Amino acid sequence: MDENDLIRKAKKGDTLALSKLLQMNYSFLLKYLMKVTLHPQIAEDLTQETMIKCIEKIQLYNGESKFSSWLITIATNLFIDQQRRKKREKTWFEQEQALRKMKWNVANRNEEWTDVLDVLAKLNEEIRMPIVLKHYYGYSYEEIGNMMGIAEGTVKSRVSNGLKRMRKELAELEGV
Amino acid sequence: MKEYDSKNRVDDEDELTVKQLLDGLERLDQWHSVSTPNLQWFQQNVEAEKKRMRTKQKKDLLAFITVAVFVLSVVMTVVYQQPVVFLYIQLVGVLLLPLAFKNLERRSAVNGLKQTK
Repeated sequence: MDENDLIRKAKKGDTLALSKLLQMNYSFLLKYLMKVTLHPQIAEDLTQETMIKCIEKIQLYNGESKFSSWLITIATNLFIDQQRRKKREKTWFEQEQALRKMKWNVANRNEEWTDVLDVLAKLNEEIRMPIVLKHYYGYSYEEIGNMMGIAEGTVKSRVSNGLKRMRKELAELEGV
Repeated sequence: MKEYDSKNRVDDEDELTVKQLLDGLERLDQWHSVSTPNLQWFQQNVEAEKKRMRTKQKKDLLAFITVAVFVLSVVMTVVYQQPVVFLYIQLVGVLLLPLAFKNLERRSAVNGLKQTK
């Protein structure tokens, strides 16, 4: 059974079809959230929240975008809302702790951490998300704008300025 | 020409940054391999969520009916016990109607202005 059949059945209230749909997209969603949050626990929590939202709103999915893109849109907005609710300092502290833990895990596996993830983590999530969506997932500026509820021009400038900042910080780190 | 060269240089540098970024994100995927739960786990979650939604809908409907019955009984009481008070309320409502429309028009004009900006 292909994804379109599952979506059609899920919209009619078929629990099994909706479960299969969620299972098929689980890994994709968690990996996306891991890349934009750079925080394993937050990524897992948001994956759960996104799935709950998807169960609630499946009737509203109109098939204009791919199902996975629709899930990314939900997840992106949940993450933006969550970050707005949290205090800036608390977010920074949590991010630092998560990065330290990830670095420690990577070191334990005898692998080398990459500076680009430190630089990416330093960026505000409203800049980090469009960069990941554009350059890793290959979405257009227009699609990203629709996902995040901002203008296409704003996405362009965030991606361009974000990359510029990343380049500068990477150069500084390499220079040390 | 100089401008063209400098633009190309920036594009190349951007490309290098993007390459580093993709490499970093690929590694992140490798370090955090995802184990997808089995179908039963998803089914349980979907069923639990649907049950919660049904309960919430029932509660909301009950609250709506309760409030509606309360408002209706107050109105009926006023109509039968104090018809004059009821007529006064109706009159005040009719007098406030143009004010409400004016307010609505002003709001939509402000919104329209914001959108054209």
